[in-house]
Amino acid sequence: MENFNVYAVRLLPKGEYIAPGHRACQGCAEVLAVRLVGKALGRNTVIACATGCMEIISSPLPTTSWRVPWIHVAFENAAAVASGVEAGLKVLMRKGRIPKKKINVLAMAGDGGTSDIGLQALSGALERGHNMIYVCYDNEAYMNTGIQRSSSTPFGAATTTSPAGKVKPGQVTWKKNMPEIAVAHNIPYVATACPSYPFDLMEKVKKAAEVEGPAYIHILSVCPTGWRLAPDLAIRAGRLAVETGIFPLYEVENGKYSLSVEIPKRRPVEDYLKIQGRFRHLTPDLIQKIQEHVDKKYNNLLAKVRFSEEMS
Amino acid sequence: MAKVQLTIDGRTVEAEEGAMLLQVARDAGADIPSLCHNDEIKPYGACRMCMVEVEEHGRKRLVTSCTYPVKEGISVTTQSDRIFRNRKMIVELLLARCYKVPEVREMARNYGIEVENPRFETREDTCILCGMCVRVCDEVVGVHAIGFAGRGPDRVPTPPFKEPSELCIACGACVYVCPVDAIKMVQTPEARTIKRWQRTLPMKVCKICGEPFMPEYQIEYFTKRAKIPEDFFEVCPNCR
Repeated sequence: MENFNVYAVRLLPKGEYIAPGHRACQGCAEVLAVRLVGKALGRNTVIACATGCMEIISSPLPTTSWRVPWIHVAFENAAAVASGVEAGLKVLMRKGRIPKKKINVLAMAGDGGTSDIGLQALSGALERGHNMIYVCYDNEAYMNTGIQRSSSTPFGAATTTSPAGKVKPGQVTWKKNMPEIAVAHNIPYVATACPSYPFDLMEKVKKAAEVEGPAYIHILSVCPTGWRLAPDLAIRAGRLAVETGIFPLYEVENGKYSLSVEIPKRRPVEDYLKIQGRFRHLTPDLIQKIQEHVDKKYNNLLAKVRFSEEMS
Repeated sequence: MAKVQLTIDGRTVEAEEGAMLLQVARDAGADIPSLCHNDEIKPYGACRMCMVEVEEHGRKRLVTSCTYPVKEGISVTTQSDRIFRNRKMIVELLLARCYKVPEVREMARNYGIEVENPRFETREDTCILCGMCVRVCDEVVGVHAIGFAGRGPDRVPTPPFKEPSELCIACGACVYVCPVDAIKMVQTPEARTIKRWQRTLPMKVCKICGEPFMPEYQIEYFTKRAKIPEDFFEVCPNCR
C-alpha cells in the first residue's frame, strides 16, 4: 500500500453520503469508516443496516443522516435483506422496469450483528453467491447498549459483562477470527481494513464493489467510549493495532492471501494496550501471553501469504 | 447565484449559473464516464470521455460536459448511439496507444471492442496524457515539479529537461490521481522512490521509536512553507 499522507486527501470524491450532525460519540472511528465506505461506493448504493451503533446514531426519528437508500433491519438479517435487495434489483433490470446500471448493494453491521447474531444469515448469503458487499464494523463489543462483550472482544478486555477483577482478567476467550470464517466460504474477496488507513480502506471497498459475487470486509473501528480511550487517540489506536500485528491488514482474493501493510518491525503489543482503559488491569505476564498469541497468529498469516506467493 | 433551468435526459433540472454540466448531470443521476476529471482541479477536457449531446436552438452537438457551463433552456442527452460510438472510438484509440494497460483493456472490453484483435496499430505506452499528474502537482500540491514536453506523438509528462526531478517532494498525489496507474511509488524503510520522475528521497527516522515515517526533503519543504517549528517532525505521529 502506498503512503499518500499529504495532498491526496484533497483529491478524494467530494460526495458525502452520511450527513454531518449525527449522534456518534466524539472520536468515533466507526462513523468515519462508514463515511469512507460511502465515498468509495458513490451514490448508486443501497444499504441494509443491522441494529447497532450506526443505526442508532444515524436515524433518530424523524431525521436521517443517509443520502442513499437505507433500510434498517433486525439485528440478525442484514445479509439476508441485502441478498434480497440484490436479487430484486436483478429481476427488475431483467424485466426492464428499471434501467440497467451498476447498483452496489451493501450490508453493514457491527461485530455483534456479524459474528454473533447475524452469522447464519451472513453465511447463507455468502454461500448463495449474491453480488453484494458485506461490511463488518468491528468495535469489539456491543457498544450502543453499553459495552457488553461479544465474540469479537479480545482477550483481557474489560467490558460490563466481562468485568476485570481479582479472579478474571476481563474477557477470557480470544477474539473470533471472522475474516477467516468468510474465507472458508470460498468467496472471491475478503479483506480487513481500518479507517486509520483511509486510502487502503477505500481501495478495498472499490475492489469489493467490482468483483462478481459476495465480498466481505472487516473494518476495525476504534470506539473511544467503549475502549476507555481519549477521543483524539482513536486514529492512533487503529494505527497501533496494525503496527503491533494485533489487527493485520490483508486481503484474500480467490483464496490468495496478500498483506496490504507490511510491517518489517512490529511494535510490542504493550504500545497498543497501554493507551486503552479496558486493558488497564493487565499484568505483565498477561501482556506476555497476549504477545505470544499475537506472534503466533501473525506468523500463521505470514505463512499463508508466503504459501499464496509460492503457489502463483 | 442566479439559477438556470435545463433538461437532462427528459428531466428538468435547476442548477447554479456557471456550474459545469458534468457535475450537474451526475448530481441528477446521469452515468457519465470520465478519466481526467477531479472536483479539486480545474476542468481540462483532455480525455473527451464525458461528451454528451447538447441541444440548443434546435441544433444538436457533442460537447465535453466537464468544460461546458450550463445554460438556460438547453436540453442534454447523456446516453445515445452517437455518444456511444464516439466514446468507443476514443477508447479504441486509447487501446492502440496503451495496449498493455489493464485499466484501458478493461474499459475497451466494456465498450465491446475486440481487445485481442485491435483495429489500429498498437503501441505499449503507459500514459494516456490526461494531464492529471501535471495539474495536481501545480494546482493542489503547488510544487509544479512536472510538466508536458514534446508535441503530438512525443508528448510526455516529465520533470524539466526529462532529467531526474529536483523539486518533487514525493507526496504521491500524482500516484493516487493517475487513472491508469502509470506512476509507481516504491517505499522501503530507507527511501521512497517515484519511478517515473526518477526521484528518490531518504526517509526521516523517528527519534523515539526509530521507525521511518516521512521523506526528509518533504519535511524540509513543509517546515519552510508552513513555518512549523523545526523540531516538530523529529518524532512520528504515533509518538507525538
